[in-house]
Amino acid sequence: MAAVEPELTIDLRGDGRVRRRRLVNRLAEAIAILSAAAAVGLLVWVVWSVAERGADLISWSFLTSDLPIPFSPAVGGIAPLIIGSVILVGIAALIAVPIGVLIALFLEEFAGNWLRVPIQLAIDLMVGLPSVIIAVFIFSALVYGHAQNGLAGSLALSIVMLPLVTRATQEVLRLVPSSQREGALALGASRWRTVVGVILPASLGGILTGSVLAVARAFGETAPLLFVTGIFGRTVELNPHNAIPNMPVQIFIWSESPDPIDHKRAWATALVLMTLVLIMSLVARIALNWTRRNTTR
Amino acid sequence: MRVSFQEELDQLEASLQEEGSLVLRVLRGALNALEHRDVELADEVIAFDDDVDVLYLQIEAGIQSLLARQTPVATDLRLVLAMLHINLHLERMADYAVTIAKMTKLVADVEADPPLLQSLQEMGERAEEMIRVALDSFADRDLEQAESLVELDELIDRSNRRFVERVIELVAEPDVREWVLRMVLVSRTLERIGDHAVDIGEQVAYLLTAEFREFTDASHPEEHV
Amino acid sequence: MAPTMRPVDVTAPRESAPQTRETVFDIKDLKASYGSNVAVRSVDMEIYRNLVTAVIGPSGCGKSTFIRCLNRMNDEVPGFRQDGKILYHGIDLYGDGVDQIEVRRRIGMVFQRPNPFPKSIYDNVAWAPRILGLRKNLDERVEKALRGAALWDEVKDRLKKSALALSGGQQQRLCIARAIAIEPEVLLLDEPASALDPIATASIEELMHDLKTDYTLVIVTHNMQQAARVADRTAFFSLDVDESGRGAGTLVEYDDTGKLFTAPSDKRTEDYVTGRFG
Repeated sequence: MAAVEPELTIDLRGDGRVRRRRLVNRLAEAIAILSAAAAVGLLVWVVWSVAERGADLISWSFLTSDLPIPFSPAVGGIAPLIIGSVILVGIAALIAVPIGVLIALFLEEFAGNWLRVPIQLAIDLMVGLPSVIIAVFIFSALVYGHAQNGLAGSLALSIVMLPLVTRATQEVLRLVPSSQREGALALGASRWRTVVGVILPASLGGILTGSVLAVARAFGETAPLLFVTGIFGRTVELNPHNAIPNMPVQIFIWSESPDPIDHKRAWATALVLMTLVLIMSLVARIALNWTRRNTTR
Repeated sequence: MRVSFQEELDQLEASLQEEGSLVLRVLRGALNALEHRDVELADEVIAFDDDVDVLYLQIEAGIQSLLARQTPVATDLRLVLAMLHINLHLERMADYAVTIAKMTKLVADVEADPPLLQSLQEMGERAEEMIRVALDSFADRDLEQAESLVELDELIDRSNRRFVERVIELVAEPDVREWVLRMVLVSRTLERIGDHAVDIGEQVAYLLTAEFREFTDASHPEEHV
Repeated sequence: MAPTMRPVDVTAPRESAPQTRETVFDIKDLKASYGSNVAVRSVDMEIYRNLVTAVIGPSGCGKSTFIRCLNRMNDEVPGFRQDGKILYHGIDLYGDGVDQIEVRRRIGMVFQRPNPFPKSIYDNVAWAPRILGLRKNLDERVEKALRGAALWDEVKDRLKKSALALSGGQQQRLCIARAIAIEPEVLLLDEPASALDPIATASIEELMHDLKTDYTLVIVTHNMQQAARVADRTAFFSLDVDESGRGAGTLVEYDDTGKLFTAPSDKRTEDYVTGRFG
């Protein structure tokens, strides 16, 4: 007895609803792409503007000479500014990174609830603290009645950097699975041995990234340095007890000047600063990828 | 849970009971053929054993498959092992019935001695009863019933004693000597059937108590012929 | 007629189970709870030396909680509370002055998901001995541990490579090597093979058989067949719901594995091992 097969018509083309769905999909995609393009475009525009206006003055001598004498025809250079910024941020990093990491370790690994909540709150508030407030505070505490000095500037910068380092470190510490901690504890390791031996090494990449990003940010902070190490000499200054020349403040000063050559100098310095920050951000990203590749497989 | 597994177990047990019914029929056929010297019936019995063998192999294969696929444990495991053994005992009993049928054919033309035949039939009926009791005790999971097989085995022994007495009387007459010899074999065979029924009872006891015991005859601890 | 025979007791254990069994853990009326949640109660049992003891039971019946009491891993969980006694060679594990670090040196643990450190294979095994001060002959110690975990031949040429490059089964054996590198007496294994494929599982089971010569093993497993294959003794835990409707895990039956899987004494055990109830 032969089986009778029913007629089967399967239409996989889809009806009107499908078409509308596809349209909505395409529209959403388009909007997303446009937004991304706008953001990238903005960045490109800024970089291009600065590069365009500042490129003229860039030369080896510009980067290595001392600051120009006012109203003299020589273009001068910004070597003191570059070195100064490096010193200021360097000292700030030496303060902020270790303390920031330690605070993060304390919050994630050791603190009980009653301590963690207020400290975490304090760190979160510090992120939002306007840098000008920090500047005024440091000024009144360390500079008023004394001279301007680089150390105070570094201190102010470190206050800006600290919550960034702590937050980034916390994020990385949280990424370490609790199974790692369990494994270490089950081997008879104490809490701090577990942290030092297993958790920190696993998080180093992320900590590095967070630190580099905080450093990049600190290079550009103007307000904290304005009152605190804003009046400085023309030559390279290595002693942090004195006021240290730095890029952001000088950019500000030059931009206020009536002399058009100063404006050019400001753009050039801005270009150098921006390039430095971009390179550091890039380094941070590469370090992060390297860490990811090494810890997850 | 494990509904299909339980169904498989039930299916195997049903097949086993069916095999038991077949064995009873085969035995009854052999006994009837013996009584009436019915060669045709004897041939039917011998052919019928094939049906028992088919069922035996089916059940054996079913148990093998179940063990491989379902990993039974605890009571399930003991049930499966008990069924494996009972299957074997039933198949042997059918083979013994065939032996009886073959004997019948061999001496069909010889005049039988009624008293001897009578005691053989008695033994046969005892054997049948034992098979029924064994199968029932398995179906009902009844330990007492299983243990009662020991006493029933004793009844076969008694019938056998009467048989032996008659054999001793008859063995003097040369005409019936060959026939008597064959009948002795039949009696041995019937005894063996009884033993296998007791074995089935022991399997039932194992299933229920998780202990394997050979049933001792508590009332007659001394050895006897 | 065959002569009647004396009854033969065929269930007498054939294998030479050590008649004098040394007790490693003596657990008395153990109760463990997290806050107001009682996870496990009324557990009385003895765990013997150089045997594999398996803990089986449905999920949520406190098997993991129980095993973590044995090396005080539960101390890390806030709100954990333990009543009753766990005597390790006669010493109360939770007694005054007992240091949990010392406990964990002697009672090691391997977890369900392999958790090797993101370090080299060598460093994974050498880390704990180093921090515990066992620095002498570190290379030999590492090799011995890796051999003990049946991993040496596979990794001896790449000890400096990252442990994360190993397969799941190899990683788990590395975790075992890591644990035995500090020469514990006991190894606790919390579902050690449940995240592994069948071949890796088989290698772990084989390993357990070898390990019990030198160590005492306690394994939690939700795979009954695994318990049947590897364990000498098996403990069945089940959820016990009291009048208020709250359930806590409790020890139902604890016996030689062969006995538990052929003729369990408790109906609940029978129902569980035959799969009649999950």
